[in-house]
Amino acid sequence: MHRSVARRLLRYSFFFSSSSSCATNQTPFLPIRIATPGFRFRFLSSATSPFPFPFPPDPSDSNSNDDFSARNRSDTHTSSSSGGTSTTPPRANYEEEQARVLAASLHHVIRSGWTEAAMIAGARDIGVSPSIVGAISRKEGALVEYFMDECLQKLIDIIDSGELQLQDLVPSERIAKLIKVRLQMQAPYISKWPQALSIQAQPSNISTSFKQRAMLVDEFWHASNDEGSGVDWYLKRTVVGGIYSATEIYMLTDNSTDFDDTWTFLNERVRDAFDLKKTYQEVKYFAEAVGAGLGQGFTKKKGF
Amino acid sequence: MSARVVARRLGRKLLPRFAPAATLHSHATSFGFKEVNEEEKSKLVGNVFTKVATNYDIMNDFMSGGLHRLWKERMVSKLSPFPGMKHLDVAGGTGDVAFRILETINSVNRRAAEDILEDDLQEETQIYVCDINPNMLDVGKKRAQQRGLGDMGSLVWVEGDAENLTFKDGSMDGYTIAFGIRNVTHIEKVLAEAYRVLKKGGRFLCLELSHVDTPVFKQLYDYYSFSVIPVLGELVAGDRDSYQYLVESVRRFPPQEVFASMIADAGFQKVEYENLVGGVVAIHSGLKI
Repeated sequence: MHRSVARRLLRYSFFFSSSSSCATNQTPFLPIRIATPGFRFRFLSSATSPFPFPFPPDPSDSNSNDDFSARNRSDTHTSSSSGGTSTTPPRANYEEEQARVLAASLHHVIRSGWTEAAMIAGARDIGVSPSIVGAISRKEGALVEYFMDECLQKLIDIIDSGELQLQDLVPSERIAKLIKVRLQMQAPYISKWPQALSIQAQPSNISTSFKQRAMLVDEFWHASNDEGSGVDWYLKRTVVGGIYSATEIYMLTDNSTDFDDTWTFLNERVRDAFDLKKTYQEVKYFAEAVGAGLGQGFTKKKGF
Repeated sequence: MSARVVARRLGRKLLPRFAPAATLHSHATSFGFKEVNEEEKSKLVGNVFTKVATNYDIMNDFMSGGLHRLWKERMVSKLSPFPGMKHLDVAGGTGDVAFRILETINSVNRRAAEDILEDDLQEETQIYVCDINPNMLDVGKKRAQQRGLGDMGSLVWVEGDAENLTFKDGSMDGYTIAFGIRNVTHIEKVLAEAYRVLKKGGRFLCLELSHVDTPVFKQLYDYYSFSVIPVLGELVAGDRDSYQYLVESVRRFPPQEVFASMIADAGFQKVEYENLVGGVVAIHSGLKI
């Protein structure tokens, strides 16, 4: 799953490496999970060096440090004798376990909401002590982010499998279809989705949720085979981000069967956007024509 | 790299001189700045706490200016207790941490009962308070009665040694030790026992007086600990020596990074620590998977 994201990002960076104006745009869209540091790893790597920690000099007793250094020396022995085999797997283990707890918690979200209670119930389900929830930083935030990541993965998998048959559609339909597929994923959680949005908007979570949305919008444009660059790049992403968010909000209060009203709304907004693009181009041509005409008039006048 | 080479060279030079001494005093340990026998240390620590038990909480308030309440509060909020939890608080004789955990769970419980049906909550919350010193436990029991928590059955008072716990493997969701691990003879044994009794996913939290590194603040803190605290101890509790031991034992305790690596060596994952008040106290945490 992660490999496919990485592959895409790589392809993406390769694609744009020729145009220098867009190279800077990639930095905000690095995969988020890779950035989380492993604390244990740091400690272990420092414990293997003989003088890893600064010992505060003790003014009143010169012998007092012997105990520390002796103990530390024995530590070094034990950690080096236990070998490198125990260092890397446990770290992955912890993250795996956390992901398992979060995945199990999603079953409880419909009943308990995006809360610690859902996470405690999820941990109980898979036989892990609910204490682990205390070790997850930004608890509810982590749960919503996990869900967003999973949905993005699912979307990428669906696109890669080719079952959407995007190549048969025009760009506006492609965008509309992709947004619809993505929003359908959060349909089961629709009664609790306002809570998720408010969690995403909290100051401590907002940077991650912004990144996730940017990645999602990027994915939409990718899948619709857009190859544009330049100032347009930002404009397009802003517009699709706007359409996605507007539809997401519309969906919250939609009571029609299978969210029919939402999809109608979505199609209209996408059409509006593409019309706007057309209008923008028309205005541009018109302005160019007027400019050319004026210029002509001016030179004529001068010559006259 | 070069430091390592130098260290090895130094070690080679020093080893022959210290090796016989080390084998001779292999059972020596520290009691404050004094070197004592291992058996003697536990006896001496026992004496200290028997002497200070009655004034323990008053002295904590005096010495930390009431800050120790905030520190304990912080540790409990890091623990994030939940209803139905089995928790072990070691060296928590006067019940300070246990009461806080219980109160947090009760408030969580009330909140949870409002919006969700906790049908899977047959398990009752149980907090075990374990202390090696019966005098400290007596103080705790008395306080539990005064607070009206004595009859609820959620608090279990156990007299026991942190290095040799009587609880079964994998029986606890949480393990806390506040201002206690400094006083034990073998820190490694305590950590190994903590790891043993915790369930998969259980957490270890340790609140302990630690080391200050900020230059000016360090001098101030040293002056305060060596000149003010023993005097305070004499004036308030009438016991200078016990508080002299306290400040000395803080200096003998491993620095934050070393202690963190010890926790990691015991098998815990996601080992983190947070310094409070510039390192006067530190909260270490670890997760068992």
